[in-house]
Amino acid sequence: MRKQPTHDPDGLLRHGGEPRRVGKPVLHTVEPAAERELIAHLEPDQFVAETSRPVPRATLGARSVRALWALRVFAIVVSLMVIYAFIEQLS
Amino acid sequence: MAATDVRTQPVLTPPPLTEEDSARSADRSRVHHARLGGRRWRLMWLLVGPGILAMLGENDGPSMIAYASDGAQYGLGFFLPFIPLLFAMAFVCQEMCMRVGAVTHRGYGELVLQRFGPVWGWFAAGDLTLTNLITLVAEFVSIRVGLAYFGLGSGVAVALGLTLVVFAFSGGRYWRWERIVLGMALFNGLFLVAAILATPHVGAIQFGRLPGGTLNTLLLLLASTIGATVTPWMIFFQQGASADKGMTPRDINHGRYDTALGAVLASIFGIGALVAGAALMTGGGAGIGGFAGAGFPEALKLVAGNGAGTVFALGLIEAGAVAILTISASTAYAAAECVGVTHSFNAGPRDAALFYAANFGVALVAALVILIPGAPLLSIALNANVLATVLLPVSLVFMVMLANDRELMGRFANRRRTNVIGVAVIAFVAIAGTAYGIDSFLMATGVIGG
Repeated sequence: MRKQPTHDPDGLLRHGGEPRRVGKPVLHTVEPAAERELIAHLEPDQFVAETSRPVPRATLGARSVRALWALRVFAIVVSLMVIYAFIEQLS
Repeated sequence: MAATDVRTQPVLTPPPLTEEDSARSADRSRVHHARLGGRRWRLMWLLVGPGILAMLGENDGPSMIAYASDGAQYGLGFFLPFIPLLFAMAFVCQEMCMRVGAVTHRGYGELVLQRFGPVWGWFAAGDLTLTNLITLVAEFVSIRVGLAYFGLGSGVAVALGLTLVVFAFSGGRYWRWERIVLGMALFNGLFLVAAILATPHVGAIQFGRLPGGTLNTLLLLLASTIGATVTPWMIFFQQGASADKGMTPRDINHGRYDTALGAVLASIFGIGALVAGAALMTGGGAGIGGFAGAGFPEALKLVAGNGAGTVFALGLIEAGAVAILTISASTAYAAAECVGVTHSFNAGPRDAALFYAANFGVALVAALVILIPGAPLLSIALNANVLATVLLPVSLVFMVMLANDRELMGRFANRRRTNVIGVAVIAFVAIAGTAYGIDSFLMATGVIGG
């Protein structure tokens, strides 16, 4: 079941969905006191366990999507022009 | 598991710690103690890195060659104010990257993919991989040009570049990687030394005068100079590195100092290459022809002496080497973020196999290209920046969208003034890249004359 997005006290959007594959936990190698020291210096949303969860998708309007596609197609067309001109220069 | 069961349970159940957490937390611990002790310079030392590396990494081989070629062909007049202006633009873009990385603790590719969908994420990663691969070829070319001055060939350039990549990430810590590259990047100042040694005639300084030549030449100069200052890899790199370093919203001001310092240094050193190149113009030297033939350092040696040539050659080696490290790192961040696996220098090779493989692999592929006999290396080097300029607006649009995303950024989202400047930068870059693309295409197809 997909995890619902949450908000932290600052109102920032946090994770939703399944975590990505992350490194093997090393909890068993850390002494409790050392572990508390480690945890104290990382923000709660900074742990790999937290950042490995994807943020939820943004909702884009139809106009925004069309504008992004137009920009993408435009960038590809101009890139092809530059590459074509480059190849022509070589020959 | 048994060890977890017997230990005393804390009040709040902590998340499982990874090797990456452990390494990052050790770095954050030093930041915390420096801040607590009011040691401002120590805090600054601990927090600088991604900004300087992005800016000095962009003062790479092709960029320094582009600046020097500008100076050799057109003097200082137009470019002396233009280069700082471009780095001011770069600061606006990179500050956004740093801020998004510090607030979200996530890289650019990761956020674009998750927030806007896999299609946009993979497009962004595809653009980056293409431009990075071409640029990395150009970096190896730059090392080769520098080494050629000392009578060394392509094989040495390849071995040097790849050895540095492996050496830099061999420690398994972001901090170590960053400090190694930072130490090397400071030698970008060699271009300033080259400028002092070359000392072009003061008559070359013609403020405000536009370069002459055809429209296509002017557009190529603009596009390649913009591409020498703001590029897609910088966006991926600085956001990914800021997150990997463990920066938090409390560090944003220091991140701004870091980025501003990088922009100022890169601007000064870029002007150094421009001034050194101008010696070829005012000294009646070979100009761009000298670079195309025997190499820029050789041409500079003829005009300004062996010292200037040697320093410039060493500068090209440094510029190429640092850029190989930062650009291959940005490719690694993008690839691992988009696939959804561990992407950190703080993780070991076993946990972040794809990250390290992409880091080394992209450098290896680029290195192999320069070993191909007869490959048009010089043309690749000079056109790498142009392609980066053409693809940059798409990356910048997503960057501005992320920096404005209030659900992600909360009170750290862009303000109106930043957006106005950001949109102006995107428009400027897009117009310059598009104008060159269309003009060169029409010339290549014979629709307009040269």
